[in-house]
Amino acid sequence: MNRRELLRRLYDSPEIGIVLALIVTFVAFTIKNPLFASVSDLQNPLGIDLAGFGILAIGESLTIITGGIDLSVGSLVAFFVVVSAWINASMGVPVIFAFILTILFGIAWGLWHGFLITKLGVAPFVATLVTFIFAAGADEAIAPNPITIGSSTFLGVAGSNVGPVPIPVIMFLVIAVAAWVLLERTYIGRQLYAVGGNREAARLAGIRINRRIVMAYAISGGCAALVGIIEASRLTSGTADSVSGWELIAIASAVIGGVSLIGGQGRIIGIVAGAALLVVLQDGLVAINVNAYYQRMVVGVALLVAILVDRLRVRRLEHSARQAVRPDRAELPTAPEAEQLPSPAGGAG
Amino acid sequence: MPAEPVRLTHAVDTGKEELLLAGVRKTYGPATVLDVDRLVLTGGQVVCLVGENGAGKSTMMGVIAGSVQPDPGGEVTLSGDPLGAGTLHAQQLGVAMVSQEFPLVGQLSVAENLLLGRRPSQQRVFVDSRAMHAAAERMLAGIGLSVSTRRRVDSLAVAQRQMLEIAKALGTRPRVLILDEPTSALGPAESEHVLQLAREHAALGGIVILIGHRLNEVRDVGDRIIVLRNGRVVADLTPAEATEQRLVREMVGRELEGLVEVSAAQVGEPMFTARGLEAENFGPLDLEVHPGEIVGVAGLMGSGRSSLLHLILGARKPTGGRMTLGGKPYGPRNTAEAVAAGVGLVPEDRKGQGLLVDAPIRWNITLSILERISSRGLFLWPRPERREAARLVSAASVRCQTPEQPARSLSGGNQQRMIFGRWIAARPRLLLLDEPTRGVDVGAKAEIYKLIEEEREQGMAILVASSELEELLGICHRIVVLKHGRIAAAFERDSFSKERIIAAAAVGVQA
Repeated sequence: MNRRELLRRLYDSPEIGIVLALIVTFVAFTIKNPLFASVSDLQNPLGIDLAGFGILAIGESLTIITGGIDLSVGSLVAFFVVVSAWINASMGVPVIFAFILTILFGIAWGLWHGFLITKLGVAPFVATLVTFIFAAGADEAIAPNPITIGSSTFLGVAGSNVGPVPIPVIMFLVIAVAAWVLLERTYIGRQLYAVGGNREAARLAGIRINRRIVMAYAISGGCAALVGIIEASRLTSGTADSVSGWELIAIASAVIGGVSLIGGQGRIIGIVAGAALLVVLQDGLVAINVNAYYQRMVVGVALLVAILVDRLRVRRLEHSARQAVRPDRAELPTAPEAEQLPSPAGGAG
Repeated sequence: MPAEPVRLTHAVDTGKEELLLAGVRKTYGPATVLDVDRLVLTGGQVVCLVGENGAGKSTMMGVIAGSVQPDPGGEVTLSGDPLGAGTLHAQQLGVAMVSQEFPLVGQLSVAENLLLGRRPSQQRVFVDSRAMHAAAERMLAGIGLSVSTRRRVDSLAVAQRQMLEIAKALGTRPRVLILDEPTSALGPAESEHVLQLAREHAALGGIVILIGHRLNEVRDVGDRIIVLRNGRVVADLTPAEATEQRLVREMVGRELEGLVEVSAAQVGEPMFTARGLEAENFGPLDLEVHPGEIVGVAGLMGSGRSSLLHLILGARKPTGGRMTLGGKPYGPRNTAEAVAAGVGLVPEDRKGQGLLVDAPIRWNITLSILERISSRGLFLWPRPERREAARLVSAASVRCQTPEQPARSLSGGNQQRMIFGRWIAARPRLLLLDEPTRGVDVGAKAEIYKLIEEEREQGMAILVASSELEELLGICHRIVVLKHGRIAAAFERDSFSKERIIAAAAVGVQA
């Protein structure tokens, strides 16, 4: 592939804008406050925040790609902060088993969403809204007072590094790579896109659409449980109401990263960049001492800009596709210009 | 002239309407898709427009309806009023278009769709429900469609939606009525009815432009037949001049090979059998399809053609009866089991049931074989998939620049061949085709028939449901006629008779 084509493909790829925005904002904050790019800041808060938002956004995106949505993840993180601490500290289950139990619990909760959606035909918004409300109360019921975590292994999840890299960041990278492989390099991933792109077409092509949908929600639940463990470790206790509104950050990351809310579109690189941009904005504004309420406003504006830029890009692509692709003319012998048409935009998807 | 008394109560403006296109051009980059020097259409006539895909029919209609902006310099006027300021402006001037894409709102009722954007009462805020339904019923009665105005549109069959579209367009009392393949979703009786409505509207003084794919229909209904090729008007014919051969020659610019020669079906054990197959409002029904045999399913709309195919595919649950496939009991609980057992369906509604429109051709064409081409039953590597996609694109003669271009960039005929490619890939033992050539042009039709014949030669058993009788007569070894979900009659190839099939479908006589 020559350099021009590489540039062209980069230019046409949906994620390029968001990656550039990420770099620009990061550099801007660093100019304003050089400490922002220091190793300790990169580890915490940036690294650990990115791990939490990123893992959540990846799970969330899978459900959006199938044409659904998972509103429950924010409440579930708060719930699993308490549950993981409770299983370990109150029940006395060894840390490793407590983690496994917590994650299985998260997956089971996702399976329940999938069951409601596929077997009972409940709308994904509603099925997960029930959990959103329920789990927001359940964590307080389990832990009216914070459950202190004593285990050093548990505390080490958020508190220790491998080399310079915090453990949650490693978890996030592993999950991001695994999700990329799933979506881009397995038939299951392709089927997830197909289910979101045209459910009826996928069904008639012999795809087990219900399995794919259930799977997406199960993974999303599992991701929420893992983020709950990370947050519990960081807080050093199972405290109720520890996080709120994270489902919206997860959805915003996905949308900023190019995941279509209609389903069937979106790639891991964009999702990761979207989550990173939100983390940089949030922590960067703190680093340059901007008031908390402005932070939310900035995130809102970032979301708006991302959506507008994406619409413009899609329009441009559609326009050039209309111009370039008139393949039915190729069958007409009197259309010699057909061969000279520019090639259409590079691979969609 | 209409055989029955004119039922339309509305009238177009009196006086001779005249639609003029002069020097109208449309170019996309280097490609000229429309180039009309001068064309005058007058009221009181049904003008039929024919041409292959990409000939410029839709572009021309788009220019008239305001959805396509022509290159500057041309002139489009309707009785002196200039058109070309967008769709809303064209509508206000009295241009109504019935497109193939059914832009109806599925979640709304029939009445709400009919009167969308035109509240019947003087009230500004609240919709007067009773008046709305009364008005809607009048509109439906005008075209002879009997469905409740309270039904949700997405519960209607495709053919009923098409009729609804026509009612909606007629309801605006258009000076120019554009019908884009209005009968492609309809059976013979409903088609005749729609053509009758077109004639009646012309008789009232309106300009009716009908884009047609069925040439006999075009000759039947048209007062004037215009052939487009490469964006130009290449022939302007009277019905007497427009023989089928002449039309095809003008459209294609070359003589078309005849329909596929049907060779004898293999005999022996049937590939598929159904005994006493029953579902709600369907059956009981017995059916056999042999390897290498093409069996046609004829019948009016609502006769159960699609139900039969969906029952076999496991997309609908039977309430009774037994099926076998390849001699073994067969009872899929879902489509996935059916596909795994060796059944495939090319669905009726290409856009709604077949395509991933925004995804590349590659994704579309490998959709039913993803598991098979994955290595270790999981990993879908780009290289083997691209190779497979390239092979299928050429096997199904999909004309594209690259398998990576989005499916939406293909013409209807090409999209249909792509869906065929999906099933050529899966090599099913029984292939179900639901309206396999709906909305594709003459040239593309012949190629689809060729694909069907190639698959048949490989020993595939094929069941085709179609509302186009000529199609079934042309390619099938045997035709079964459904009425109310039961087989009203069955015909072997040597006893095919159009008249008897129509009679069986309409009256249900065992022939």
